[in-house]
Parts: sequence; structure tokens; C-alpha cells
Amino acid sequence: MKYETVIGLEVHVELATDSKIFCSCSAHSYGADPNSHVCPACCGMPGMLPVVNKRVVDFGMKAGLMLDCHINRTTTFDKKSYYYPDLPAAYQTTQWFAPVAVNGLVEITTSKGKKNVRIKQIHMEEDAGKLVHDIREDTTHVDFNRTSVPLIEIVSQPDLSSAEEVEAYLERLKTLLRYARVAECEMAHGTMRCDVNLSVRPEGSDKLGVRTEMKNMNSVEAIKRAIEYETARHIDALENGTEELRQETRRWDDIKGKSYAMRSKETAGDYRYFPDPNVMPVVIDDTWFESIKSSLPEFPEVKRARYAEEYGLSEYDAEQLTKSIALCECFEDAFSVCKSAKDAANWMISEVMSILNARQMTYDMLKLNGKALGELILLVSEGKVGRANGKKILGAMFDDPTIAPAAYAEENGLIVSNDTGLIEKVVAEVVASDPKAVADYKGGKEKALMSLFGRCMKQLKGNCDPQMLRTILIDIVNKQ
Amino acid sequence: MDRDTLRRLELLNQLSLTEAQKEDVFSFFADRDEDLKALEAIDTENTERMVHVMPIMTVVREDVVSQPFAREDLQRGAPETDEGYWCVPRVVE
Repeated sequence: MKYETVIGLEVHVELATDSKIFCSCSAHSYGADPNSHVCPACCGMPGMLPVVNKRVVDFGMKAGLMLDCHINRTTTFDKKSYYYPDLPAAYQTTQWFAPVAVNGLVEITTSKGKKNVRIKQIHMEEDAGKLVHDIREDTTHVDFNRTSVPLIEIVSQPDLSSAEEVEAYLERLKTLLRYARVAECEMAHGTMRCDVNLSVRPEGSDKLGVRTEMKNMNSVEAIKRAIEYETARHIDALENGTEELRQETRRWDDIKGKSYAMRSKETAGDYRYFPDPNVMPVVIDDTWFESIKSSLPEFPEVKRARYAEEYGLSEYDAEQLTKSIALCECFEDAFSVCKSAKDAANWMISEVMSILNARQMTYDMLKLNGKALGELILLVSEGKVGRANGKKILGAMFDDPTIAPAAYAEENGLIVSNDTGLIEKVVAEVVASDPKAVADYKGGKEKALMSLFGRCMKQLKGNCDPQMLRTILIDIVNKQ
Repeated sequence: MDRDTLRRLELLNQLSLTEAQKEDVFSFFADRDEDLKALEAIDTENTERMVHVMPIMTVVREDVVSQPFAREDLQRGAPETDEGYWCVPRVVE
């Protein structure tokens, strides 16, 4: 019998806010001392009242609109009760009855073509704390720095049917959420985590099989391996009766390449959801809604097509630049100053992206001032700064985004000199020091002239119009 | 409310009720059985969900970070702390 895999994903994404969802503690505590970003509210002290961070709702709406969802204009928070030491109040404040966004759609592309994945809902919620088990054998240590860091959970319908589709779906989510600048979505940093719900059924059947859930998967490769393993395990159980499938939560051990039963799967009733009386409904009025809607970015494919049509860029260049919204913004700012899309694209692709790669930075980590890059491109294209020195200035601009290229070039002696007297003096010295090269050139060896040219340019520290230098050099050599 | 449901609720809430307390719970729910049945009989098919009993909405705050709270003050009532962490009974084997 042929089987098909049915997969639904619950993806947790940490929102890129400065402060936590219900209190003003910093949401960024990576590397910080334990419990150094906490207050009575996020530590679940009795009597403390949560106050909603507006930007969390902004980002929840943005994420919803990017995923083609309906936005609930009155959205409410609920208590999800469970008892564990990483949850100081013994409940998580989340959204159950009226999540911020519902009924969305994400189009993915795989080797089999395009497919729509339905989004059931996106809800806003708080993260739990962190437990450390390896400091002492007799206790568990609790750090509440991560408690109340804002998350959205994106719940898909069970529309995915393979590891390839899951990978494409996650990549699409990352791209769209990064474009909207609502989240970093870096699985390696834990800012995107994924629960995989999986079952198998005979091909063509409309009845879902027994579902298992694998929680907190944090790498696409591990997710793919886990899906393949679980699919094979389910089919083996159905075909050969190797085990009885149970609705349960399982842990994936990526080193052993196996999943293990953790606990029977909770049902919604186990969590005893009820409206949080401490957080009043969030009402999104027209002004608020429209301000978020108008702040949405162009979708990557729309931008790509516009770059080709409006700027005349090649498909390859447009594809490269639209890999990240940070690259797009930098390119567009640079173009607004230098007015040459081709030059701006070339600098972005061959210089800016190379530096990012060399520094092992993601494209979204780009902090370069695009308008300053445009000024630098102009300085080089107008011959005021040599290309090599232009690259040096760019490196400095990466380290300090406040650098103004013209002033920096002036201060550091990187402006091309039009002082023909100085150039003639340097050329004369270089030529006099190497009569053999002169003789070789006159004997027909073009390479000898290039060698002299390079040494002259080095002496002039690159601050010379190459054409002018070449003319003067040939003139002086011919007079020898 | 039956014994199995109550046992599950006890477990979820980390409670351990005495027999007398359990009888109180059964009696409480038995007394309200008619009320619950009356509620279930109401047709709510086309009724919009009420989000709050009062026409009220939350205030929101701007995304601004404030000074952290003194950890020592927060941990003053903790039975045990170690290197800045709260300590709890071990939860993994």
C-alpha cells in the first residue's frame, strides 16, 4: 500500500523588540548574567499586572499581513495553565480565543512546483524561562531572563507532505518575516523554533492517522531527518505492526537519528485556557491598522521584477540583491545618490556582499549607510578616488557607519591627485631605477610597462587617474 | 465531575485533595448540574463571542527598556539561590 505523510507545523518566532511583551525588561539577554533582565512582573510575583508592548502587536499584525491573514481587530490574551519551574506564574499568557491573525496562506515552491499552505492562526505569547541542569546534581537552576520575551506562534494547517515542502515553507516564512523586519528567524540562535506534527495515511484517504509531535526542533536539516525517520516509523507500525502508534509528544535525538516518546500528547483541555483578566482586549482601530498596512515592504518577487524592469538589472543581479531586505534598502539608498543602478548593484554584489561573507555576517546584519555608499560610488566613478582606495574606504564604513566617504578620503590622503608635476617626478624616479624594464618594453614586452605602471601607482598610493599615469609613463619611457 | 476527571485535575494543578475535599467538589458540581444543563441548552450558534463584560480595552506601552530590577531584592524570599539562579528541586533525571 502507498502512504502519504501529513505534516502541520507550529513555528515559534522571537520578535525583534527591545523590551519584553508585558514589562519593560530588556528582551535581549544573550550572554547576560542569570536573572539580570527581570522584574516582579516577568518573575510572576503576585499582584503584578502586565502592560502590553505596542510593538509586539505591530509585529503580530505585520506578520499576519505578510502571510495573507485576516487580522482580528479585537484580539485578546488568555492564560494557558501548566506547572513547570520555567514558568514562574504557572501559566503562560498567550492567545487562544481571539488570536491576532487567522486564515492565512503561504505559497511555496518545490521541485514539484507551487503549492499553497494554509495558515490556521498566528498568536502572540510570552516565552518561558531557561532551566540549567548541569551546575549541580541535586537541583535545577532557573534563569528568568528569557521569561516574557515576545513570541509569535505560526500554526499551519496539515497541508505539508514532505521534508522538502517543510524546508520550502520554513524558508518562505523566514524571508517574509525578515523582509517585514519583525524577527531575525535564525534557528541556530533559537529565534525560530519548530514543532512538527506528523501522521501518515493511505494515499487518497481523507482520514488523518495517529499524530505525533516533535517539539523545539532548531535546525532545518534536523527537521528533515526527523520527518524522514518518523514517516518510516509510522509506515512500519501500520504495515508490519511493529508498535502501536499513540498520540504523543516525542523528542528527536539528532545524533542517534531517532525519536523517543516523551509524554502523551496534551489536549487543549489539559491547559485549561481562560481569558486573562489582567489584560484587557487589544482593540486595533483603523488608524493603527492602516499605519501597519502602509508600512509593509514589497514582497521579494515584486521587488525582483521591479529591479529588472525599472533599473534594467540582470535577473542574476536582481536575485542577489533581493536576498535580504537590508541589501535592498542599502542598494536603493546608494542608487538614490549615485543614480547608476548598474554601479550600485556591482558595488553591492562584488564588494559589500564579499565583506559580509568574509566577516561571516548574514545579509540582514548589514548596517552600512546606503547613501554614503552612493557617495563613495560617485567618488570612484568620477575618478576622484581610485577603485582600490574606494574598497579601503568601504571597509572603514563597515566599521563605522557614520563615516562620510569624501571627508574620510580627504583626511586619509586617498583623493586622486591631478598634480602632473608630482606624477612626472614619481614616474621619472621609477623609470630611472629600472633601465632593464624600459629596454624590455622597447623590445616589445608590454608586461614590462605594466610592471612599471604598478610600481608608479604604488608610490602614488593609488591616488592617481590611471589613464593620466599611463600617458605620462609611456611618454617618459619613450624619451629614454 | 467523576473521580478520574478530578484525579487528572489534581495532577494538573499539583494538588492532593483529602477525601472530604473531594466529596465537597462532587457535591458542588452535583448541585450545579441543572444550571449547567440549562446553559448548554441555549442556542449560541450565531452569537458573537463577548470579549469582555465591560466595553473596555487595554492600554499599550511603547517598546522602551527600563532599568532592570535588583536581583537581590527579587530573590530575597527565595528558599535557595546559587550564582544568581533560583534553585528548584531537580526536574530531570
